[in-house]
Amino acid sequence: MIENSSSPIKSVEPLLQLSGVAKRFGGVVALNGVSFDLRPGEVHALVGENGAGKSTLIKILCGILQRDAGTIMLGGVPYDPHTPGDAKLAGIQVVHQEFNLLPYLSVAENICFEDLPRNRFGIVDRRILHERARKALDSIGLADVDVRRPVASLGVAHRQLVEIARALMGESRILVLDEPTATLTARETKRLFAIIAALKAKGVAIAFVSHHLNEVFEICERVTVLRNGQSVMTCDISQTTPDQLVSNMVGRQLAAAMAATREVDKSGRTALSLHQLRHPASPNESGVSFDLHYGEMLGIAGLVGSGRTELLRSIFAADIPQSGSLDRDGKKVSYRNPKDAIADGIGFVTEDRKEEGLILDMPIAANVTLANLKAVSRYGLLNKRDEIKLTRELGADIKLKYGRPQDNASTLSGGNQQKVVLAKWLANNPRILLLDEPTRGVDVGAKAEIYALLRALADKGLALLVVSSELPELITLCDRILVMSNHRIAGELERQDFSEERILNFAYKDERSHEYQ
Amino acid sequence: MNTSDASLPGQMRIATTTKTILREAGIGIALLVLILVFSTTTQHFLTASNVTNILTQVTINLILSIGMTFVILIGGIDLSVGSVLAFCAVVAGTVMTLPGLDPSTAVILATLSAVAGGIAFGLLNGFISAYWVIPSFIVTLGTLNIARGAALQVTNASTIYSFPPAFNAFGSQTLYGIPLLFLIALVLVAIGWFVLTKTVFGRVLYGIGNNEEAVRLAGHNVFIYKIAAFTICGGAVGIGAIIYMARLNIASPIIGIGFELNAIAAVIIGGTSLSGGRGSIVGTLLGACIIGVLANGLVLLGLSDFMRQMITGFVIIIAVILDKYRERLTKA
Repeated sequence: MIENSSSPIKSVEPLLQLSGVAKRFGGVVALNGVSFDLRPGEVHALVGENGAGKSTLIKILCGILQRDAGTIMLGGVPYDPHTPGDAKLAGIQVVHQEFNLLPYLSVAENICFEDLPRNRFGIVDRRILHERARKALDSIGLADVDVRRPVASLGVAHRQLVEIARALMGESRILVLDEPTATLTARETKRLFAIIAALKAKGVAIAFVSHHLNEVFEICERVTVLRNGQSVMTCDISQTTPDQLVSNMVGRQLAAAMAATREVDKSGRTALSLHQLRHPASPNESGVSFDLHYGEMLGIAGLVGSGRTELLRSIFAADIPQSGSLDRDGKKVSYRNPKDAIADGIGFVTEDRKEEGLILDMPIAANVTLANLKAVSRYGLLNKRDEIKLTRELGADIKLKYGRPQDNASTLSGGNQQKVVLAKWLANNPRILLLDEPTRGVDVGAKAEIYALLRALADKGLALLVVSSELPELITLCDRILVMSNHRIAGELERQDFSEERILNFAYKDERSHEYQ
Repeated sequence: MNTSDASLPGQMRIATTTKTILREAGIGIALLVLILVFSTTTQHFLTASNVTNILTQVTINLILSIGMTFVILIGGIDLSVGSVLAFCAVVAGTVMTLPGLDPSTAVILATLSAVAGGIAFGLLNGFISAYWVIPSFIVTLGTLNIARGAALQVTNASTIYSFPPAFNAFGSQTLYGIPLLFLIALVLVAIGWFVLTKTVFGRVLYGIGNNEEAVRLAGHNVFIYKIAAFTICGGAVGIGAIIYMARLNIASPIIGIGFELNAIAAVIIGGTSLSGGRGSIVGTLLGACIIGVLANGLVLLGLSDFMRQMITGFVIIIAVILDKYRERLTKA
């Protein structure tokens, strides 16, 4: 327990103050009134579920995105960065979750990239360059890394530390760390925390974004919880508990329409059995095993990177599994590509509509029939009248709001785009639907309609496998939930045992218990 | 919520329609304006013999551009068409001048061998770029050199001529002032248009150009489609080679230099997006005509060949800039 009464922190004016910050992407609200402040010499945690708005907030702070509304004050003056350069000039440094290193340049060049030392002919001075980089690496305890090595030759954890070293090169007043420990081992995390403590002592204000509540309680003074793009609580870390944070992260209110329950028929035959199925990118050699039944909605929970999407992709043969096998209706199958999986009655609603699900610049009708062009063609010739008829019929079934079937999919709202993706698979009469984040970027109204649609499909006997980062979604929709962590099933919950806390416990279970590399 | 949702598609529909009109009609209007300008500023532009002349000049580029449209629609590019044209021509020329063949057999065998040669290079381009996921720019830069070198090697750098007289005569025949060869090109335009707009195959090609991963995950064998697009382009080059021989009555390993750039220019001016997924054969037809009309009209205006080249260059750039505005209109 660190009581702040003896420290000067509380009396100090906030260095950075945000109030009512909002940001929309088209029809999707990413931030809807975020307020928080950062004091010199404090470590302030920002926590929230996936999609709560943490990354958007950071991008606004460092000038990658511009806010739509709200005010930001930095040291008492309005702060309105338009480029990352503005943010750096103002003394705000960000270490992003995604790496921003230049892989084929040396470690030294990366660290000093913003201010390369030059001699009097304007040529890069290698000696000073390497000295500076050496000092920077030594200061964060990376004495064993040669600064001449290209960054591409380093492991993930070392890259993350190089990124941090680079951020520390400038004289920054504010340091934002976005999931800095995600790729670090326990030892390196300790090292990072020592660096953070040193910076804090120098009066640097640190915003610390993390999924790991134990870290938050270990090094932070205060915490702000984001949920659905809003800041729902800020308090001293000593005044709260992990349980309280989690319940604030997930929220309690759920529209009644969404919570409608369903009679579960547990007699369904097994539609799909996974036997130690392993995605090529999975570090877990024993893979994933479970059964999926007809008429069942099986949820998959887990943190981003826990292997949920990879699992779906390996079932669908979007990526060929490294090992393991698959039984469909009790018979062993091995799909060589998505075509085989589709022919076997499987549909896959992908996570990313724009990249994998839809062809935005093509008509709605063309999107609806894309996975089943046979139904609307003869001898390879398209029958556009049939295509439009099919689109109208399916559109009515799923309450699609659109202009004409010939309009491009890009003219639709996010929710209706998602319905088009669903229609594409329904046009194929699948027996199994794999759904990855089925309501991402979808407004509440459309969400309720999609839930109703999915329930109706399960009632009709389809087997549904639903991956979602929104726990309330899984809890209202599913009959059973598997929780993934590090590409393995960390836990299984039956409907009567569903709770957000239990799911999160499984999701975080072996986060720290293994070491990468 | 409901009311705003319902009104939204209505507004969008107008934008979509405007966009469609702008796309092909815009290029057509540009062509008409050019024709109008040249027919008022020069005496001979609209004479029957000059029109025949323009159509003759357009023919070969048009045929290559049809094939190029398929490749560019899937987001690829084929830089090898000019060299492959020369390769097909010398192969066909060699076959056609084989001793002991009666003229009609010689022409048929020559045509088949030209098309086969084109298809072979198309398959090669498509397979290499699709199998190893190499940008087609690089693959076809390689085959550009391979085909040119092969053409020179086969002929020992000499020109082949003395084709059957009937074949040579065919190349200059006209029907109501329209060159027969141009009519052949128009038939190919019609086939290309049909394939791209009316068939499952065409639909999937557009899909690949827009979003390859979505098409793959919808169960289509993207690999085969990609190879097919390049193969069609190669086949068109083979036909182009025979047409070239019929028109100029020679087959030489040094013909067709730079033809790929004219074909790409016609496709781009015709409104097909270099990144794939958007465009049409009708646009390509108009684009090829714009290039032909421009070249002919500027010569009639008394401009030097050098000036003509510069102006064509500007037109290409302007066409792409206009395309950017059209794109913004779609996104808005």
